[in-house]
Amino acid sequence: MDEKKILVVDDEEKIREMYSQVFSSSGYLVTTAKSAEDAIKILENERYWVMFLDLNLPEMNGIDLCRQIRRDYPMTICYAVTGYASLFELHDCREAGFEDYFTKPASLSDLLDAAAHAFTKIERWKKR
Amino acid sequence: MKILIAEDDLTSRTILQAILSKWGYEVIATADGEEAWAAFQETDAPQLAVIDWMMPGMDGPTLCRKLREQKRKDTLYLILLTSKDEREDIVTGLEAGADEYISKPYDNGELRARVNVGKRMIMLQNELREREKLQGVLEMAGAICHELNQPLQSVSGFSELLLMNMETGTPNYKKLKNIKAGIERIGDLTRKIMKITRYQSKPYLNESKIIDIEKASRYEEKGE
Repeated sequence: MDEKKILVVDDEEKIREMYSQVFSSSGYLVTTAKSAEDAIKILENERYWVMFLDLNLPEMNGIDLCRQIRRDYPMTICYAVTGYASLFELHDCREAGFEDYFTKPASLSDLLDAAAHAFTKIERWKKR
Repeated sequence: MKILIAEDDLTSRTILQAILSKWGYEVIATADGEEAWAAFQETDAPQLAVIDWMMPGMDGPTLCRKLREQKRKDTLYLILLTSKDEREDIVTGLEAGADEYISKPYDNGELRARVNVGKRMIMLQNELREREKLQGVLEMAGAICHELNQPLQSVSGFSELLLMNMETGTPNYKKLKNIKAGIERIGDLTRKIMKITRYQSKPYLNESKIIDIEKASRYEEKGE
């Protein structure tokens, strides 16, 4: 794989900024979107394999966004990061196609581990 | 369950008290309407009552009416004991706020059945009230935690980011470590709050109560 690109979707600017810094400092190329609609526009022009999605987004929520992404690009690995955790949502996340689920405040090392794990998996799929 | 009896006749009151105690009720016996009214104003007052119609001073229907006018938070189930069994009187009693009536002389089986209906009704109402409270608690907890977790994520993320780029062992590194530990504690707390599954309170200052987060958030496995 040429570049390790990550798409982050969160409606809060500070959090997008924080994600950008942490993933960039670990060598990833990060793009951020503030809504599901923006994310969909970005995906129309560019392919991303790994994404971190907030669940509580202004218009379309993260669950529906994940469902749509997995329908259009089935190989994508999506992670949910949410401030509104309940057992019910975990079940929903798995059903929508999320790889894993992190509750805010999520530890950055957990998120970095998740990203590394996702890219290892994708590399393996590509070599198949 | 507590049950109040209001009966001015000593013999009838003693018999009623004996029967109800035998059936497992915690009986609070009062001799007239005023005394019964006072007992209903205590904290943790009984919710179930057998009230004699005819009493000196405040009679049964008046007591019922006054209690209903109180707009109490607890559900009361009031049974009027009456020697009058004419239709209009029964209507008067029920309209005054009684839930049920028993005509004297009563049969023990009938008394037991009617008191049991009241007990069942109160238990259902109490359960419903607890569920409503829980619903309110859950909505509030969810909203607060969500709002709290957003800024918490940036504080926690940025401090972790700083730690990553800092030389370990320096005084600032240690200070930041402490900040990070504090944030993690708040994070654990918001996670726990969001897992609140039942209404469980514990005593707090001045007889008020607060939610026991530890107990109320404990997840009880229901089986996958």
